[in-house]
Formats: sequence, C-alpha cells, structure tokens
Amino acid sequence: MSESPAGKVLYVDYSTCIGCETCETVCGFLHDAPRIHMTRTRDGVLVPLYCRHCEKAHCIRACHRGALARDRDGAVVLQPMLCRGCETRECTQSCPYAAMVLTNKGVAVRKCDMCSERRAIGLGPACAAMCPTGAIRFLDRCELACAETEAAKDAEKRVLAHLRPSANK
Amino acid sequence: MSSSDTMHFAFVRPDPLPPNGRSVAIVGAGPSGLAAAGYLASLGYEVDIYDKLPKAGGLMTFGIPSQRIPPARIQAGVLELERKYGVNFHLQTKICCSAPLHEEEGDHFSCDIRGLGELVEDHDAVIICTGSWKSRALNIPGEHLSGVYTSLQFLFPIRAAGYGKPGVTAPAVQGLDVVVIGAGHSAADVAHSALRLGARSVSICYRKTRRDAPCGLFEIDQLEAAGARFLEQHTPVRFDGEGSLAGLVCRVPHQEELVYIPAQAAATAIGEIPTPPFAKELGLENVRKGDVKWLNMTAIENVFVAGDVLTGPSKIGKAIESGLKAARSLANWLDLKAQSRQAEFQDEERVPRPSPRTSPH
Repeated sequence: MSESPAGKVLYVDYSTCIGCETCETVCGFLHDAPRIHMTRTRDGVLVPLYCRHCEKAHCIRACHRGALARDRDGAVVLQPMLCRGCETRECTQSCPYAAMVLTNKGVAVRKCDMCSERRAIGLGPACAAMCPTGAIRFLDRCELACAETEAAKDAEKRVLAHLRPSANK
Repeated sequence: MSSSDTMHFAFVRPDPLPPNGRSVAIVGAGPSGLAAAGYLASLGYEVDIYDKLPKAGGLMTFGIPSQRIPPARIQAGVLELERKYGVNFHLQTKICCSAPLHEEEGDHFSCDIRGLGELVEDHDAVIICTGSWKSRALNIPGEHLSGVYTSLQFLFPIRAAGYGKPGVTAPAVQGLDVVVIGAGHSAADVAHSALRLGARSVSICYRKTRRDAPCGLFEIDQLEAAGARFLEQHTPVRFDGEGSLAGLVCRVPHQEELVYIPAQAAATAIGEIPTPPFAKELGLENVRKGDVKWLNMTAIENVFVAGDVLTGPSKIGKAIESGLKAARSLANWLDLKAQSRQAEFQDEERVPRPSPRTSPH
C-alpha cells in the first residue's frame, strides 16, 4: 500500500458553495444519517465539512483495529464489523477536516464512503449529483489540481482557519 | 452531457424502472417538486409537474442570482428529467382552487389555470410543493410608495426578464440611491444585484448588529468591498416621499434624533411567507405539527405536501429533503393501498417545525 492511490476523490469548491445544505440532506436521505456536515464559520460562511479521502490518511493510521481501509476506487471506507465496540475513537481526533462523526449507537463512528453502493452500480456520490451549484465534484485524483482555483484555495484557507485557529497564527 | 454540469434530480437510480402504471401530479417545479419528481420517475411513476412560471427551477431559477447557481446546470437537470425519465412538464400553468388570485410575484406568467380537483381525479396522488412566494411586510408607513420593492419583486424580474416575457424588465435603479432592509441572504443578493444594475449607492439597513447578520460577516465584507454601505442597528421607522420614494427614516439606539437616508429605491428583504393553495381544506396546520398518520399527507387522502409551503422559507437543501421524503411516503402509501394494507404503515418521523431564521438558499 505504499504507492500513491490513484482512484477517485470528492472535492468541494468552497468559493462556489452557497451553503444550501442539499449535500447534507441528500446524504441523510440515503444513509439515514448524513456523513457530510454543514458548519458555520465565525465569519458566517456556511460550508459542508467532508472527507477528503486523503492520499495519506491520518485516520487509517490512527485506527488500531484496521477498520479503515482504502477501496478499489481510492475511497477511505469504514469496516463496521471491526469498528464496532471501539471506545477510543482516535480516528475522530486524527482527522484534520472534522469528517469523522461520532454516533451514539452501534458502530462508534460514521464517515463518507463516497457512496460505495452507488459506485458499485456505476453511479457517483449523491451529494455531487444533487449539488445545485456544482460546487461538489466527484473527480479523478489527478484532476484535483485543475479543480483548485485561486478563489477555491482562498475559501479553503478560511474554512481551515476556522477548524484550526491555532495552526494559522 | 457531462455529469458535472447537470443537477441529477433522479439521482436514486441510473435509469427509470419500467412504468408501474401509476401517475402522480406535482404542483410546483422548484427544488422540492423536482426532487420528488426525480424520485418518483426513477421508480417508474408517470409524473406530471405543473408550474406557473415559464421555466422550471423555482427560486433556484427565478430568485437566487445566476452568479450563485448556474442556470444551465438546473435546466440540464430538468431536460434530463424530461428526456430520460419521461417527466411531463406543464409550465405557465397555475393550479387554483377557485378564482385565480393574482397576488403573488410571478403570477402574470401563467397562461393556463387549472383546478386542484381536476388533478386529484386524474392522478393516483398529488404533491403540492408551491413554496413561499409572498414577501413579509414591514408594516411601516410609506411601504406602498413607488420605488419600494420586496426582495422577490426586486430579484424576480432580473432573472425573469431573460425568460421571454416582453413586459418584464429588471428594476430601473441605475444612478439611484438604493436602500436594502434586512441582512439575510436575500438582502445580500438584492444589494449585489443593485450594484450590478448600476445603482449610485447601496446602503443596507439592519436593526441588529453586524455580528447578528444572518448573511455573515464575510458576506458583509464582500458587500462593502463591492461598494455597499452596511448600517447596523438601524431600525426603519417610515418611508418618506410623495408618490415616489425619497428616503428612509431610521431609528438608531441611544440617539434622540432619527436618521434620514436619502433613497429613490428601496427593497425590503425580511423573509417570505408560504402561499399554500387552500391551506384550510388541506389541513396544513396538522401536517405541520406532524399530527397525521402518513408523513406529509394532507387532509385529502391522496394529496401530499412538501417543501417551503409547509415549513415556511428554509433552504434549498431542506426543500429537497422534504420533497424526497414526501415522495417516499407517497410511494409507500400507494404500495400498501394497492394491497389494502394501509394500516401497516409506521410513521417514522415528524415534519420539522419552521425555523425562526430564514434565508433563501
């Protein structure tokens, strides 16, 4: 698993996102509870927090049970059978993007799997399919660099400054 | 058609199931109506969707500026519903109970008026997703002076002017001083639009502080960078002028004297109220409280309701969720009804209460 993963990735352009919550509600409709979560920064910007399916995923390293693994499309997916019963929930602390969500019953956490069942039948993630602005995209990892416009990078910086106020000062 | 340029309302399936012989009418082709149409059409329902406007999309097409939501993406999604999923669009058709009431923004677009009773008889079920199209009034003197708009009256013609109705033009604010009342997302959209239309100055009056503004500090910074002025803690008292607007009088805390803001055009952006056709007949109050056996079903058994018309102005996402849930509830009900097993239905959740904070996105 040392070679860098090719595969797919989810990308939100925070500069074109209007915070309409469609991603969150559509995700919740399909998966019972949403795996992408709206947050409001101190500057009043509404944006979704989401799993980046990082190339070097901290959550995979943090999980002692090996419950987080990469699937054939490069998505970081949770194996509920291994996760169940975990009390440390270190994955939630390790995620720099606040994309792992604690649950209060059954499996300890939930996370985005880039709509694994949908991918299995040739569909993309539902959030990207339904986003009214096209801010959420389902891309090949190699397309990521082209998708990141200057405005998008600036907007991303503002969101990360909100998530980690100390890291930027 | 590349998938990134289309809003896939029928996202639940890659293609529609074969026709199941049932037909559903949906009133209103906004976010909730289109989401419900996509869900049902995927399952093989024949869907007829009605809208009073000449284009589908509701406020995604006619309210929110095109800089925020690309119109082509919405229309590509509508085309996909029409071509691939066989949804029948009946645009410029208003569904009414009795005499047509021309009192909402956008009514003048509809050519055909049809009765709800007709729809109920012709289809297995109906979903009402007509949204909230009536602007809330400030209830201060001078609100009816010419030059005073509501946010919808201001934003709607900007988008509608492009959609082929000769009488409709964008508000003529070029060279005028414009004052916007409110600090939500509609207020921000109105202010940006006024600047783009060439207003000489744009002032935004908000009765609370900058920190309280629902549109957020970042948006206010953007507006100020674009040339607007943000006046916090300005409570409108009355509009001044004879016949047409000359200025807005505001009260500022800890200050005896009232503040006068000269303005030849004003837009109030303080929210909308739902405009359900025949709220009483449908017993919408009970649906709102969740006091019904079937999620989103009205007092008329095969009439369902979804979106902002039920909850009050919310957000696109909430409207879509409501549309999807109503569609699922409707499909479950018809499935059980076909086997005379309606009694087995377990209602899973209640319809959320309207939130006090409102915004159009």
